[in-house]
Amino acid sequence: MSKSIFKIVDELPTGGLTVMALKSLDFVIPGQWTNPVGFENTIKLVTGESDEALIQQIGDRAVHLYNDKTQGYQRAMWLYETVDSASSALGAAALAGKIGQDVSFLGFLSNLTPKPEKSQSIDLCIKLVVELVAFCQINGIPGDSIGDFVASLGDYSGESLMRMAALVCFDGLIPLGPDFALKGLNTLKGMNPSDLGGNPVFKSVSELIPGGNDGGKLNFITQSFESTTGWMNNFVSSHGLTPENVVNNLASFVEISKDKLEYLGAFLDVSTNYYYHTGAQTLARRLTERAFAEI
Amino acid sequence: MNTHRWRRAIAPLLLILFVIIGGCAANQPSRFDQAQQESTGSKATPAVAKDATQGASFNKFFPQPGNGFTRVYTQEKKGFAEAKLNKGDKTVALLSINDTSSNPEAAAKFKQSTKKISGYPTVNQGSTATALLVADRYQVKVQSKDTSFTETDRETWLGKFNLSGLSQVK
Repeated sequence: MSKSIFKIVDELPTGGLTVMALKSLDFVIPGQWTNPVGFENTIKLVTGESDEALIQQIGDRAVHLYNDKTQGYQRAMWLYETVDSASSALGAAALAGKIGQDVSFLGFLSNLTPKPEKSQSIDLCIKLVVELVAFCQINGIPGDSIGDFVASLGDYSGESLMRMAALVCFDGLIPLGPDFALKGLNTLKGMNPSDLGGNPVFKSVSELIPGGNDGGKLNFITQSFESTTGWMNNFVSSHGLTPENVVNNLASFVEISKDKLEYLGAFLDVSTNYYYHTGAQTLARRLTERAFAEI
Repeated sequence: MNTHRWRRAIAPLLLILFVIIGGCAANQPSRFDQAQQESTGSKATPAVAKDATQGASFNKFFPQPGNGFTRVYTQEKKGFAEAKLNKGDKTVALLSINDTSSNPEAAAKFKQSTKKISGYPTVNQGSTATALLVADRYQVKVQSKDTSFTETDRETWLGKFNLSGLSQVK
């Protein structure tokens, strides 16, 4: 049985690598993300209500909604969780036998290999598509409506905006440089369906990606990514983002070595789960909004 | 020797004890445990009724914004539709319509109502929400999301929904 939504949100940490890495991005979107954790706390924050009986009603309704599988919320949570753990899997073998040892960046170095650019590009693109599909599951727009998703990006705020900022910075700029959007798109256009079918991150979430077979799914992923490159490039230019300023800010929150940057992408993949963390927060917010509206 | 055997038995017993205690600590009771049980057991009823009206059907009954306001649809699920009401960059209210056939207790609260908007029973909820019920089934709610959006504003915007149109929905 899947974990209850209140347990998921109650167990979100207030510290640790994921939280510190996300806090380092506050310079990009100041004050947008306050790391809301705890189910009751989220209800109070989202609704502005404090009456205990009302909080109980809202929470109960949110729990019921989450547990109704026809409503798609568990699918969204599964997507956020699975894409994070799949892209970390690369490092799992590197960590074997290292239990109890140094989990700092330098401790990882001897066991990580820099991820090939093609692999990083695919990760970036799959994560973007997961965001689109999860968005549609949560908000109810049909799961292949790329246009609706792209239109809504302009309205993103809070933990959803932080997730996209982290995607651009940690999965785009740092491993792939300023041309990450073009690299991602070129990788997709140069792939054939069997290349995609063999990719472990794709395989982990493919059942929920629209398109029928791998060829159809590759088309869908390519279209989705291409439709979002405008937003991503605009996000980078309007916030003056460069790999250097992202890394500099990260270094003031997380101990990293700036002269081993080719490992940084892999390190962030292995040791953070920002999609799961902010995804759970987005889901809790939307559930709370709906629950309060419906009671 | 008996003592020796007891000592050998203690370590695994202690281990089992710690696992149990650790398990208990991890499973702290929650005020939402009952809701969790009710909604996941074999007899659980779905949160959304099978024949609840699709959220897409509700969109056309939302108020037209105008006067410096914009309306952004945000959720459209079975039995539920929601939109943000923005003034400039700020979200000042949330507007929603839901089909209470999924959760009849939501309709029951209107039996005590002493207020009406456009002839429909109306209640306040908490300190930020006002709602009315159309055709004993569809709840229309406005939640304030900014202190500038008062109870009077909520009542005004409730009246701007196409309530008579909504009352015709089957």
